[in-house]
Amino acid sequence: MKLYKKEGNILQILSFPTENAEKGDYLLVEDAEAGKALIAQVIDVQFACIPGVLEELLRTLPDGGEPIRGEDIDPLEIAPHITYIQDASLLICKIRATLENSMLTPSSSWLPSRSQSLVKKLSIPMLLKLANVDGKLPIILGGTKDTSLLTIDASALDGRLNIITGKKETGKSHLSKLLMVSLVGYKATVVVFDLNGEYSSLGMSADGKRNMYYDKIHALTPAQNFKVALNELHLNVIMGILIHALHLPGTSAREFRRIWKTLKEKGNLTLHELGETIRNLNCNQHVRDALSSRFHALVNSGFFTDNAAESTLLDECLQKAKEHGGAIVVNLRNTSTIDRQIVVEYVLGKLVDSLTNWKLKAVFLFAEEAHLYLRETYWDDIVTRMRHFGIFTTFITNQPDTIRESIYRQADNIFLFNFTNEHDLDVVSRAARVDAETVRSIARDLPPQHCLTLGHVVRDFPMVARVRTLDLKTMGETRLFFKDTN
Amino acid sequence: MNLVIEQYTITTTPKYNFPQPTTDTILPQRFLELSLHSLRQVHNQAFQVNQQTFQQLSSLEQNPANLQLKRTPIPLKPDYHETIIAAVDTSTIKIGETSQGIIIAIRGATIWKQNRNYRYTRLGPFIFHITEDNKKEVYNTLETAYFHTSYSSSHQVTPNLMQMPTRLSSLLERWLQAMLSRTVTNGLILFDGSLTSGTIDTPVQRMKEILNIARRNGNTVLAFSKMTNLRVNGYLITDLLPEQEPPYLLETTGLQFKPPTTLLGDVYVARLNKANYAFRLDIDREIPLQDRMRALEKLIGNDLYTQSYPETLRLAHILCTFTANEVLAMQHFITRKHGIQIVNRPDMHRLLFGPFGKGEGYA
Repeated sequence: MKLYKKEGNILQILSFPTENAEKGDYLLVEDAEAGKALIAQVIDVQFACIPGVLEELLRTLPDGGEPIRGEDIDPLEIAPHITYIQDASLLICKIRATLENSMLTPSSSWLPSRSQSLVKKLSIPMLLKLANVDGKLPIILGGTKDTSLLTIDASALDGRLNIITGKKETGKSHLSKLLMVSLVGYKATVVVFDLNGEYSSLGMSADGKRNMYYDKIHALTPAQNFKVALNELHLNVIMGILIHALHLPGTSAREFRRIWKTLKEKGNLTLHELGETIRNLNCNQHVRDALSSRFHALVNSGFFTDNAAESTLLDECLQKAKEHGGAIVVNLRNTSTIDRQIVVEYVLGKLVDSLTNWKLKAVFLFAEEAHLYLRETYWDDIVTRMRHFGIFTTFITNQPDTIRESIYRQADNIFLFNFTNEHDLDVVSRAARVDAETVRSIARDLPPQHCLTLGHVVRDFPMVARVRTLDLKTMGETRLFFKDTN
Repeated sequence: MNLVIEQYTITTTPKYNFPQPTTDTILPQRFLELSLHSLRQVHNQAFQVNQQTFQQLSSLEQNPANLQLKRTPIPLKPDYHETIIAAVDTSTIKIGETSQGIIIAIRGATIWKQNRNYRYTRLGPFIFHITEDNKKEVYNTLETAYFHTSYSSSHQVTPNLMQMPTRLSSLLERWLQAMLSRTVTNGLILFDGSLTSGTIDTPVQRMKEILNIARRNGNTVLAFSKMTNLRVNGYLITDLLPEQEPPYLLETTGLQFKPPTTLLGDVYVARLNKANYAFRLDIDREIPLQDRMRALEKLIGNDLYTQSYPETLRLAHILCTFTANEVLAMQHFITRKHGIQIVNRPDMHRLLFGPFGKGEGYA
């Protein structure tokens, strides 16, 4: 390989077919005299502009029809050299860093010698070592093209905002499960909003046997094994549900607050008493109707109960997770939109409450297709306010435009799977920790199960890896009509 | 060190045995041997890249004062009777310089058209390192290998180093012409250039022999010149075109050269289609007049024409010409296989005159 051009932070490197450089590979452009080296990543592979190639191709099709047939007697065997030159490629590379005295700096301001520089591939393990990506809490994401492992440090997810995105069936959920169980393995507390019921069986291996996570996965299904007694609810949590999930107007909310406090003081905070109080409320008809309809929505959700024995205490699960590590999987699979919002409001409110009171140290929140249950104002809350409480969110979506631009700008880590749609790529490329060319060029060509990892976890050296398989019972498979007929 | 050379074989085509296994194939083998031998001499040396091409210029044509061009065109009518058309061309290129000489490449191509399909055989490239010391040996070895006469015995002056590429290329071209003459029967053989002989690289006897063999096999040799210096009343003969619907021929008379230069063909101006181009055409003088016209009519009826030039000959030229890509590949080959390092010697014109120096090729 030879250094050909440098324009801004883009390098053009001439490569011959035997050198096998591909998109995503890292190259080291070493200038021994300067004692420095550039670390650049291949973001595109083009044909090198070889003089005479057009003539070469044209003469094989002299009349625009069938190629002219014949025999080449080439005793010196020059033909392989011709094809070797013809197939030379131009690697468009993005400079990621300068290596000087074993130290990495993000500079690309110097120019290595074109004639003297030595260009060679930089293996992923070597790069990870140089970038100090390894840590005490390794999570093996998968294998890279050069058969080495891409290992990130769990602490690089701590206190960070992460996005896992890619088109359908590329392996997003698989990666989020991998991250989730890895964090649980390091005794982290994880809460998952499981939209498709995929995470509930992670305590089982693929063959149905219990695995090491069995006791750490707490699957909560609203209205089934996940119910809440009203007297365990904090007023701000129920108000959050009423205002944000059930859109209760301000005047009615004030009335409800008064009712709630009265019942609480009397020790009569039950569904039955609440319903009766609203029914007998001497107030404006509209207010009473508004409260009555919200009350019925709460009752119909099946999420609330007066039976203390029925109510699963989220606190208990969180406490267990805090002590031994664990995941609280909130199964939202068969839950209606309104009920989903009620449950999410409750869980988030409860988490903030627990974190504020230091009942919990921090929580890793995994939210699949969050736009389906997260209210508008929560987006900014999650990335700013809640982060300070200790909620570190990972959004998982196949519709990148459902996540606000401000979220992308503040995302610390992006795990990007294949996207072919230009619009989707445009959205993702707004992330602050990555350049648009890298996203557009590499993500478009990613095979399924291959993930481009960007951001803090890889010290801003974008890396492609095939996500490793997990021996977990994953559920969540798409139900097929023709599955058994083949 | 013994050099094992793979036996050069030319496969036969079932249609008209082209070329036959019995054909004398010693020339390419000698080309290969000498090519490798000459490159071994330059092993691990440095060389200066150069992409100067050598045009195979026809020997300087004298312009006889008594040359006349008959103004009455001979009309031609396409004869679609299936006829084999074959053509040959060679090319050479200088690919670099060493401290002792030059590195050149030579390639030849034969094309034949049958059943509306073009087929080709391309021979080479052969790469030679030619020095003042080995130029005689290289040329004589090749000449003896095929023509059974050595350079020293033919009383010619020693070729200058810079003439060697065209001389070696001509040698390969004559051999390919002879091969076609032997292997094609009842066809038309197209040469690039003229049928002028007695020049330094085309001895009369050699060209006569090629034409004789062709005739014996029922072939007609037609030689097309892309450029000519022949003038009548100061005008190029190819510019004096009458108002006549092509295709047609214009006949010349009175063309004679001073010995030893000899014309083995009669010279015509051929305009083969409506494109406003005409070419000098030499037709073997021993072919009866009627057969010449019939041959030309078969050519028109069987070949395609781009700007009045036969496609078969055009393809022969295209296929043997070296592209820049191939030059790079050959430089890569000699660097890899023979350890010759490429060095950049400064272009003195550029160095001295800066932007006013257009490069050595423009000297």
